[in-house]
Amino acid sequence: MSLITPEIKSLIDPVVSSLKRHQIEGDQEIALAIAQLLMKVISAARWTNTYDLISIIRQVGIIIHKAYPRKIIPGNIVRRVLALIRDEIETEHENTPMMSSMFSLLSTTKCEVREDHSKKQMSDMRAIIIQGIRDLVDEITNVSEGLETMCVDLIHDNEVLLTPTPTSDTVLNFLIKARTKRNFTVLVMENYPNEIKKAHQFAKTLAQHNIETVLIPDTTTYAVMSRVGKVIIGTNAVFANGGCLSNSGVANVVECAKEHKTPVFAVGGLYKLSPLYPFSRDDLIEVGNSGHVLNYDDFELVDNVEVVTNPLEDYIPPEHIDIFITNIGGFAPSFIYRIVLDNYKVEDNKLE
Amino acid sequence: MPPKSKKKEASPVATKSKSKKEIVKDDRFQAIVLTDSFQTRFMPLTAVKPRCLLPLANVPLIEYTLEFLAQAGVNEVYLMCSSHADQIQTYIENSKWSQSKNSPFHIATIMSLESRSVGDAMRDLDNRGLISGDFLLVSGDVVTNMDFSKCLNFHRAKKSSDKDHMVTMVLNQASPLHRTRSYIEPATFILDKKTDRCLYYQGIPSVDGKKTSINIDPELLEDIEDEFVIRNDLIDCHVDICSPQVPQIFQENFDYQTLRSDFVKGVLTSDLLKKTIYAYITEDSSEYVARVESWGTYDAVSQDILARWCYPIVPDSNLIEDNSYNYEFNNIYKEDKVILAQSCKIGTSTSIGTKTVVGEGTCIKKSVVGRNCKIGDNVIINNSYIWDNAVIKDNSVLEHTIVAANAEIGANVTLNPGSVIGFNVIIGDNKVIGNNVRIVESQIVREGDDFNNSFSDSEDEEEHAKPAVVIPDFAVEDIDLVGEQGKGFMYVSDREEDEDFDESESVADSYSGMIYQMKHLNVSDESIASISNRRTKRRSHSRNRRYSANSMISDGGFITDDDGEEEDFTKEGVATVARAIENNHDIDTALLELNTLRMSMNVTYHEVRSVTVQALLNKIVEFVSTDTLKPQEAGTKIFNHWGPMFTRQVFSSEEQVDLLNILEDKIEQLSSSYNQVILFLAVKTLYDLDITEEENILEWWDAKGDEAEVRQLTSKFITWLQEADEEEDTDSDSDEE
Repeated sequence: MSLITPEIKSLIDPVVSSLKRHQIEGDQEIALAIAQLLMKVISAARWTNTYDLISIIRQVGIIIHKAYPRKIIPGNIVRRVLALIRDEIETEHENTPMMSSMFSLLSTTKCEVREDHSKKQMSDMRAIIIQGIRDLVDEITNVSEGLETMCVDLIHDNEVLLTPTPTSDTVLNFLIKARTKRNFTVLVMENYPNEIKKAHQFAKTLAQHNIETVLIPDTTTYAVMSRVGKVIIGTNAVFANGGCLSNSGVANVVECAKEHKTPVFAVGGLYKLSPLYPFSRDDLIEVGNSGHVLNYDDFELVDNVEVVTNPLEDYIPPEHIDIFITNIGGFAPSFIYRIVLDNYKVEDNKLE
Repeated sequence: MPPKSKKKEASPVATKSKSKKEIVKDDRFQAIVLTDSFQTRFMPLTAVKPRCLLPLANVPLIEYTLEFLAQAGVNEVYLMCSSHADQIQTYIENSKWSQSKNSPFHIATIMSLESRSVGDAMRDLDNRGLISGDFLLVSGDVVTNMDFSKCLNFHRAKKSSDKDHMVTMVLNQASPLHRTRSYIEPATFILDKKTDRCLYYQGIPSVDGKKTSINIDPELLEDIEDEFVIRNDLIDCHVDICSPQVPQIFQENFDYQTLRSDFVKGVLTSDLLKKTIYAYITEDSSEYVARVESWGTYDAVSQDILARWCYPIVPDSNLIEDNSYNYEFNNIYKEDKVILAQSCKIGTSTSIGTKTVVGEGTCIKKSVVGRNCKIGDNVIINNSYIWDNAVIKDNSVLEHTIVAANAEIGANVTLNPGSVIGFNVIIGDNKVIGNNVRIVESQIVREGDDFNNSFSDSEDEEEHAKPAVVIPDFAVEDIDLVGEQGKGFMYVSDREEDEDFDESESVADSYSGMIYQMKHLNVSDESIASISNRRTKRRSHSRNRRYSANSMISDGGFITDDDGEEEDFTKEGVATVARAIENNHDIDTALLELNTLRMSMNVTYHEVRSVTVQALLNKIVEFVSTDTLKPQEAGTKIFNHWGPMFTRQVFSSEEQVDLLNILEDKIEQLSSSYNQVILFLAVKTLYDLDITEEENILEWWDAKGDEAEVRQLTSKFITWLQEADEEEDTDSDSDEE
């Protein structure tokens, strides 16, 4: 913990407490907040060696993870940044060996030169990493744009779509964008009991964009499934095995879809990809406010019922998803591990 | 410290064009936390630790309140500390709130050591002049996840539409028998249907599902134009947004003690003040607001937190930095490094702190276990709260109990529902602790009148001085209780003694019984009933009339009964007279007090007489039993001195007879060795004092004749009365012994 100096701590603390209080809403906002934080940490931290920086970032990652253990996104961002730094080191090393081999021909004090060299490079390094994070921020903010380019290819005219995740802005933008070229109907599931208001708002926004929208209760999923052409789900996190976390209730929907052989599209930005594997379902799923499930005023029930559980998420196994649509293209679940390898370094999978 | 009201005045000028009510423009939002409850409901544990530092689901209670304030976007927090102020201060200084620069608010403790009630604290606050604008007033035991911004918007909207607006109370909806509702201070709110303006506040003397009726003075309802609703389904969690006038009103009305029954009621019923109070009722089913104000609510709120009703305030949000709780299905929370035996069973809604060891075959369900606890094999723990470092040995059974930090429970011990094991207590093997028994480490010493003072003093001593030797007086009883190897004393709530205490408020609140007012538990305490009835007495001061037409039966299906009140008067009345005798008040004062009591409780003179008689006799018995005086002397002394009280309690000849009957009834119950003398003295003194007239004495006498044993001595006096026509004979002639 000695790596975390008071200055860094004072940078982290507000983010940690707002994560703990769930004050940052939406995955994208969380991702951006973490990216910004890391940028500040990198510029504030004192480091002479890039490896020091890596261990500092790892420490920060642990603290952030503890603040909200069930959220995958903060960990993703931290690992992305770490991968970015490691990439820089690699390119550095690719350059320096060439240089040093030249030097070594001339000079015997090879090591000193390298050290000196790296010191000079340090400020450059800082700038390069920060630029890398800036690019990451851009990538996160422009997730929808990347997705939108694909929508025309995936959605056909007069198709009936079903979305069980009315809380996802990505899905919303995806559909709105598709409307510019295609004419289709969207069935929106209410997603009771959490964030029903948001579901209603979602349906309303779609309707305002001239999309034929039907809001259906969650119970009718199976009945309507035979008419549905595609199921589009938003994701909270995508794991390396191709499974993903989505809103609670989605697991049922994709099960129905499988029964009817309806294709399921999972939509999500690249930053939702996680290098982790979902080993235990219990550790993944966030459990929310019981008050949404059962009215707390109802004393008789509240007192006599053993456990009221309101899981906020469902784990969707990879075999229930046909294609992942990300801002860098569509991939089969079985291919996700490849994308993960491109974006993360294996040595950072475990931060502790 | 911030300048008092300068800043406040400055800003409205700028925004004058908009409206005058923009006073809230001040960008700071202050919160006052009353860390002291001014009650002793959590005794005996609060003798060692203040209530707000007691752990609730292994997190000190105050953390929940501060977390709420942080969420609410408060900028300045002032903690009003009185009892155990030093402990609270130390805690706050070492907490994340004041240590890190990134604390969401500026926090300061205010030592208000003199405060004995909410009213005192508010007056102290006013004297200090800290308040610069509207502020949030909460008690240090609130647990909530509500969206405060909505409430603040409501407050601001009301403020701009009603310039007399002074307080917004936050209320939460819950059925009358809800477990998180306080059973000790239940209250009904009468609200304007449209505007949610609170028109009237009325405490209900309802307790453990018995009587419930409220009285509304029709005059109060006259001004109301619109429809109003009477609501008994609201949890009052003492979260208020107050305007700066509030402390001033407390200052002006120096007799205000409590926030609700004095202040809110006073403001609403006052004709002069013309201020309004609004109620904000949380609508969203996911909004949770509760106060931990009794053992009952402690249990309920703990369970609610474990069951995630208060999400995102749940154990796994790890409010304290070094906590590491992790959620598992069925609401099980475990910290790192918990060692569970292979065969132990952890049931639903359980939280276990770090480094706790649980033995083989042990079952834990709906409980909270603190850190570093050692729980042996085959222990059964149900609905219990075990604080840090406690040790529970093999085969013990704990049901609905609280085991405070560092306590040790021997093997094969049974703790029955309601028992509270205090800090550092040791219970020997094979003991059974009965229902609602509270055990403390050492005697809690209290001296006479200044109950609160001695109380907080003794606490400190207790902490340091741990008596190794058991005080002989109690040794027998306590070895029975805690066993040979044990350490601990039975804690008896000094309610009886407290009744001497002038402030009936604190009498009511001194109730510290460990009650789980859940239906499945037998609530044996009639004491709660008597307490809240006593409160009624105070409330109904202004309104003696009872309007049965207006009485509201709450939906719990209660039955109305008034018996409690009379019974209660007896207690209170006897105490009043006893106090007068004790402190040697003059008779006028005693009578005045008694009379007030009579009026407020709406009882007849018959009761007044009987309590007076009872009190006088009690005193005599006391003298006799302690051998201070002989029965004869005691009787003469008491009746001569206090007999004149009856002059203003007896007005007609029937009443004289009644008085004599009461005397006889009561005296008959005294020890037969001296009751004859007492009766004789009583009758004689009353006759001498011209309280009872000759013919009435004779009438009383003739009604029964002289068969009764107690009358034997008196019969001679009667004979003398019958014979003698002239008064000025000697008194002492007819003396017999």
